[in-house]
Amino acid sequence: MFTFTKDQHIVDISGYAFGGQPGKFPTVLFGGLFFKGQPDYQTAAKALKHMLQLSEKTGNPAIPDFFIKKEEYIQGIIQFIIDTLPKNHPFSIDVIEPSIKIKTLEALNDHNLLCRAIYNSIHVGITDEERDALKHNTPEMAILVAFNPKDKSPDGKIEVLENGAHLIDTGLFDIAKKVGIQKILVDTAALAPGDNSGAAIAAIPVIKEEYGLPTGCAIHNVVEKSRWLNDFSSARKTVDISSNVNIPLFGGDYAIYGSIDNSDMIFPVIAWQDILISEYTENYFGIKPDTTHPRRKLSQ
Amino acid sequence: MKPTVKTCVIGSYPVTIDSMDFIHQYYNQKEITWNPYISSAVKDMLDAGIHSISDGQTRDPFIQIFTRKLQGCRVRDRTEIVDKIAYKNPITVNDQHYVKNMLPKDKELIGVLTGPYTLSQSCIDKYYNDEKQVAFDFAYALHEEAKALQHYVDMISIDEPFFSNNFPEYAQDLIEIIIKNIRCPIRLHVCGDVSSIIADLLEMPVDILSHEFKASPKLLDAFKQYSITKKICLGCVRSDDLSIESVEEIARHIKKAQDVFGDYIVQIAPDCGQRLLPRDIAFMKLKNLVTAGETYYG
Repeated sequence: MFTFTKDQHIVDISGYAFGGQPGKFPTVLFGGLFFKGQPDYQTAAKALKHMLQLSEKTGNPAIPDFFIKKEEYIQGIIQFIIDTLPKNHPFSIDVIEPSIKIKTLEALNDHNLLCRAIYNSIHVGITDEERDALKHNTPEMAILVAFNPKDKSPDGKIEVLENGAHLIDTGLFDIAKKVGIQKILVDTAALAPGDNSGAAIAAIPVIKEEYGLPTGCAIHNVVEKSRWLNDFSSARKTVDISSNVNIPLFGGDYAIYGSIDNSDMIFPVIAWQDILISEYTENYFGIKPDTTHPRRKLSQ
Repeated sequence: MKPTVKTCVIGSYPVTIDSMDFIHQYYNQKEITWNPYISSAVKDMLDAGIHSISDGQTRDPFIQIFTRKLQGCRVRDRTEIVDKIAYKNPITVNDQHYVKNMLPKDKELIGVLTGPYTLSQSCIDKYYNDEKQVAFDFAYALHEEAKALQHYVDMISIDEPFFSNNFPEYAQDLIEIIIKNIRCPIRLHVCGDVSSIIADLLEMPVDILSHEFKASPKLLDAFKQYSITKKICLGCVRSDDLSIESVEEIARHIKKAQDVFGDYIVQIAPDCGQRLLPRDIAFMKLKNLVTAGETYYG
């Protein structure tokens, strides 16, 4: 295990902390909803309740990540957040198309939800209209995806954060600053299987050491798309879940673990990893785990 | 056109990058591909009628294309040298291979290398504290790239714009390192005002010298003072000016240069890479260049 020489920023949303030295805070877990088809709110409500119970039991914060595929789903999903999620509980909205992002920001503002919202995400595809929308309807926190199509190495990820790699006029840090987002998470952008996907893990300690910012990724994407794993179909789920262990092991602060249906497996696995890390970092570096840390639950 | 005079490009060509397209590839976990942008540049060159084309250097500015993939370099706002410079893997070869497969048989492909002196002067050295050694290690790395590249291209062009700012006494050594045992023809492109280093350039161990004769017409007078011993790539349209030179203007320029260089002119080209021009203007400049060449040389 290790600590970073760079001071580590800790950012907070509704009392949920991200960041710090390894072993301080539990890994925050983002579980995705509504990726496929029309939103099924009944099933989602059950899955969400179960996720929150697992979070309570393990100590790992749970962030529901709401994928909004179409504009017509915005109002329904927002109403679901209001009706189902505990008051003040943070959530993230995961949208790809800029036009839907803009509409979603407006709707979040209309319902006073921006203070609980994590914007997933700002990346090199950002448009001028999206920047304006973010300025007017500023979410509490945003994920910056350090995806650089020119360079998949950790250095390439730093380049896109710093200067946009000549794909946009400025770096993602600067964009976040200019639109007024002060709390940022860095996503190291896991790429397709075989396309230097391991760099997403390697980049976690590099970015934490360089900037001291909370960092994580969605490494599960790589596993989901792997054709190689078709030959080992019974192992796919195990590989998917266990790949997330790399994130806390390399000093990361959060994992976007894919479907919320994986919560049953992911929470105990990551809690266990957090406990192992904490035991060592406290013993060797004197880092006391936070009161919410899974290690505090171990003796209960 | 006179068979020995070919239309060509210097290197870069403008394309519009759609970052959102890359984002879709990322979210769909597709392998990231730059091929549509390379195709777009090559298609324009072919549609304009250019004979010797490049891959358009669409990926990056001409420094980062190389430093991004060399050991010892890391790209920040500028490239930083943080360890010994060394060649890892082919840098431009995959793109050249892709372009080669797109080209009709009667067209030629130019592989472009950014020269070691220009690379050394464009990077921030945090490792060597020895400017000359930086340039030499870039040269050794580029030699490896040239070795790999020669199997795919008809000519290698070494782009050394910084020679016109400052011509180091070891310039010739750098070029010799790159081209040692390379079998294809070599062009040296130095843009800017080279009037004070013409004698040195004529001594360079290359086949063709390429200069910015349109933006710096006084170069024609300067070259008159020397006995020409090298083939010439004649810059005929400006790369730093949005106005599109007419066919007649280009033909007049060729005639003036022909009076100086005679049959040593083997290529007519833009003055420099066209990356910074709007695409429609870059295309029209190439098209007029081709027509002027046909008009003049028949």
